[in-house]
Amino acid sequence: MLNRLRQYGIFVVFIIICLILSFISPQFLTVSNWTIIITQASINALLAFGVTFVIITGGIDLSLGSMVAVTGVTAAMLAHPDTFPVALPIFAGLLAGLLMGVFNGFIITKSKIAPFIVTLGTMTIGRGLALILSKGRPISNLSDSFNFIGGGEVLGIPFPIIVLIIIFTICSITLKKTLLGRYIYAVGGNEQAARASGINVNQVKMAVYSISGLLAGLAGVLLTSRITTGQPNAGAGFELDAIAAAVIGGTSTSGGTGTMTGTLVGVLLIGVINNGLDLLNVTSYYQQVVMGIIIIGAVVLDSWNQKKD
Amino acid sequence: MPSNPQNILQVQNLSKSFLGVKALDNIQFDLRKGEVHALMGENGAGKSTFMKILMGLLKPDSGEIIFEGEILKSNSVHENLRKGISMIHQEILVVPELTVAQNIFLGRETNYRSWLNDKAINQKAQEILDLIGVKINAQTKIKNLSIAEKQMVEISKAISNNAKVIIMDEPTSALTDNEVTMLLKIIKDLKAKGVAIIYISHKMDEIYEITDRITVLRDGQYIATKNTNELDKNALIALMVGREINDLFPVNNSKKGERIFSVENLSTKGKFENINFEIKAGEVLGIAGLMGAGRTEIARAIFGLDKYDSGEIILKGNKVEIKSPEDAIRNGIGYVSEDRKALGFIPALSIKDNISLSSLANFSKAWFVNSSHEHEAATQLSKDLKIKSTSINQKVMTLSGGNQQKVVIGKVLLTSPTLVILDEPTRGIDIGAKFEIYKLINQLTDKGIAVIMISSELPEILGMSDRIMVLSKGKQTALLSKHEATQEKIMQYAVN
Amino acid sequence: MKHLYSTLIITVFLFISCSQSKNAENSGDKKIKVGVTLLSMQNEFIVNISDEMNKKAEELGVELISVDAEHQPLKQIEQVESFIAQKVDVIIMNPCEVEASSPAVTKALAAKIPIINVNSATSTKPTAFVGSNDVESARIAMKYIAEKLGGKGNVVMIHGFMGQAAQIQREQGAKEILKEYPDLKLIAHQTGEWDRAKSMDLMQNWIQSYGSKINAVFAQNDEMGLGALKALQDAGLKDKVIVVSIDAIADALQAVKKGTLDATVFQNAKQQGAGAIETAVKIAKGQPYEKELMIPFQLVTKENVGQFLK
Repeated sequence: MLNRLRQYGIFVVFIIICLILSFISPQFLTVSNWTIIITQASINALLAFGVTFVIITGGIDLSLGSMVAVTGVTAAMLAHPDTFPVALPIFAGLLAGLLMGVFNGFIITKSKIAPFIVTLGTMTIGRGLALILSKGRPISNLSDSFNFIGGGEVLGIPFPIIVLIIIFTICSITLKKTLLGRYIYAVGGNEQAARASGINVNQVKMAVYSISGLLAGLAGVLLTSRITTGQPNAGAGFELDAIAAAVIGGTSTSGGTGTMTGTLVGVLLIGVINNGLDLLNVTSYYQQVVMGIIIIGAVVLDSWNQKKD
Repeated sequence: MPSNPQNILQVQNLSKSFLGVKALDNIQFDLRKGEVHALMGENGAGKSTFMKILMGLLKPDSGEIIFEGEILKSNSVHENLRKGISMIHQEILVVPELTVAQNIFLGRETNYRSWLNDKAINQKAQEILDLIGVKINAQTKIKNLSIAEKQMVEISKAISNNAKVIIMDEPTSALTDNEVTMLLKIIKDLKAKGVAIIYISHKMDEIYEITDRITVLRDGQYIATKNTNELDKNALIALMVGREINDLFPVNNSKKGERIFSVENLSTKGKFENINFEIKAGEVLGIAGLMGAGRTEIARAIFGLDKYDSGEIILKGNKVEIKSPEDAIRNGIGYVSEDRKALGFIPALSIKDNISLSSLANFSKAWFVNSSHEHEAATQLSKDLKIKSTSINQKVMTLSGGNQQKVVIGKVLLTSPTLVILDEPTRGIDIGAKFEIYKLINQLTDKGIAVIMISSELPEILGMSDRIMVLSKGKQTALLSKHEATQEKIMQYAVN
Repeated sequence: MKHLYSTLIITVFLFISCSQSKNAENSGDKKIKVGVTLLSMQNEFIVNISDEMNKKAEELGVELISVDAEHQPLKQIEQVESFIAQKVDVIIMNPCEVEASSPAVTKALAAKIPIINVNSATSTKPTAFVGSNDVESARIAMKYIAEKLGGKGNVVMIHGFMGQAAQIQREQGAKEILKEYPDLKLIAHQTGEWDRAKSMDLMQNWIQSYGSKINAVFAQNDEMGLGALKALQDAGLKDKVIVVSIDAIADALQAVKKGTLDATVFQNAKQQGAGAIETAVKIAKGQPYEKELMIPFQLVTKENVGQFLK
């Protein structure tokens, strides 16, 4: 029992914070507020799921925010009303993300340069590409069908939440139940031993960076649709929120451990804190301090728990 | 037990449990000045927990340690070090980018005035190195030293600390014969100076050469303390394993089949050249040679971990191209590495996940792992290999060395190999587990699997192999049959 | 002798023609060279200023060297140093920061190269300033809200990046007006970091805690105004809440035309860009110029939006 509790340490923290907030703010524990929290968290969630795969292999992806901008702008350019069917801008956005992810994976596996450096490079390249494609201006006047993705509802549930649930399920199953998932843990746990066990390490790395890019593409499309414009400077700093969510959720930056459920809790924790501090009208200056403390606190708590094991 | 003034260290009724499991139960131990005292026991007997308590890394649940007549209360490594208890680790802990002198005085630079004074440190370090008769310059960077030399640096560090008790945990496991001789000489010198040494090793020859007394632990219990010259090898093994092992090498009667594997003129520049051998189904080919003779390099090339420059690998009559371990496994070749930690297993994954890792595709349909099949197969193998664990979901990093090795072997077996290369399969594991691995080799050959066994332990090579290939400096110097091979002959060819 | 004479004439003639052609070349070369460093080319408003500068420069035959300081004051100072080294005739700077970009002005003046600040100020006085007063823009916006609400109601304000000159001045302007209307209450204010998505999230959260209590939103730029607008529309509250922002970017003008955004404040990027180049030319030619060229703001509502749409 005690072990179980430790395993879910961050989940307990999450519940405690929710309890505190619901005592202070009467609006906090309402269906409509939670709908908003989850909708707002959906974009960070997609990025965090992608980067969780990457971090478990022992890598990192700093280009997430830039990929969001490139893919968002790409989708927006093709999403004006009465031009193409809505599937095209969505597909183009996803493809742009996938290509950038493949590029990351290709350079990382071929050059053996640290993922930190490679994705730092693509982060800058991506930002430049987004500005070039959009000529530095936001792209607006998007079709209603495109705007539905981020703003529409199905059976009263906002579409981004539906996307979140579907993607979470797929990622979770991929990590837990598939060959790829097991190989991801193996590569992160001991890359040399994974190779000696007959795993094609490069293929696994290609796969995780591609997935990360693809999900960043989806996040880009969702964001563009949600704010109904393609913004070249969108997504700046998103990678840090995503990495923070994964780490808060128990993914070790040294690789080999982590779960999608943990990351989801991390994402929701960040979302809840943002929402709660706004509800309580805490000054922006303090918001940043509080968020930082919670990130460090969560990780410290987690490492204590791991040491005890 | 009254405290004996002769004893520098006395341990009484020491107990320690982890999560309710007793790792040490009522341990008694005493260490005299100027004595080399062997601590023996199978892996998991409690030796490392005991040593960690002595070092101050762990706190005992009960019992006391009396050091120089006073009860040792500290539980900080730093304080114990200051009082004179040092440890030479199995994994060497020196900082590669610093010099020998800087390593020796690491963390204690301030003893030599408040500013870093390299000159004073260098001089002092050189004195210590000369004292123990090691030819190392104090200003060389650690990264340029061999493993043996690094160990000498560790010993120098202990001496510089005015150590009164030095714990040595498998100090010779990575040393060549010459280096071992040198280390043993240093130990004798230390002993003459009154330093007490706790010596942990699985190598019987060393134990009998240098130790005065032997204390045996088994399953966390204190078993006995005897004078070394009053305890013969078989009796010692019996104490350790709790039963008699009459013949360490079980008889192999496997039938030899057709030739299934051969290499022709295999060469990699600077590593090995023109290697030729063949192996039949059910046969054990031993590869002997000194460290650096190219044994592991050949195994790595055959298994696709390294590229080879020229030559051919022929499997069941067909020439095969092996470019990666993936190719090797697909062709029915399995490899159990000498470097278990680096290449053997994934520490954070479970026994089950590690065992199935190389053959996971066989347990999968359209990318999805069939976990019930996987679970079944892993459970069966774990049972067959007698892996000691609470469940097959236990993480491999929590297992003892011998059990980790069994997991690695299990992983290879699950790929249904026709050829298994075992590289130092018994390094760093205890006698009981060694015996089980030898039996396992025989089980493999019974099934018609060909085995290549690389080993530095000549008795093992002689006891287990049908034929023995000897290497020297990357060249094949002999291919002996079981009948013609002797330790002397092998050594002759190995130093050739 | 005659020979010598003719040779002399020819030589002199050649010399003159030569020097004449040189003169001609020189006057062609004598194109005025202006170095421009801009806050950030990722900002649509700045891009508009830059576009207008290029247009005006071409019209007046001025050679422009345009660089992007990417929000970094240090980079901006280095860019000005390189302009000084290239011996440009005039430097135009769109400062990153009030204090941190000041050394650039000092350096240019020390090198006797005139420097013009465009759009925002530095603490060191430049040769000339072309721009608008940010405090004024917020006064116009807040005044509009006050009048629409009849001087009574609850307002929320979305800040830009905290601590930036534009944020500080726009906050100051808004607060000045709020003081004049004691019944107009500022019930919440937070940063939206100039970002549409961020302010959309913020507005959603405010709707949760304040619901229909909010009567008006003042966003310090259009991006954030449009984000808040989207949140209000999604919640079905737009009809009850006034939204006003600043900058009059294309998207905002469209929204004003549709009647969703109540008003925006037009800061004339074109006039700022053109004014800066014109002032630079006057300084370079030694003609009289205005030391502070103030381009006025204009309130844009549904009634007059037509004249701002291209």
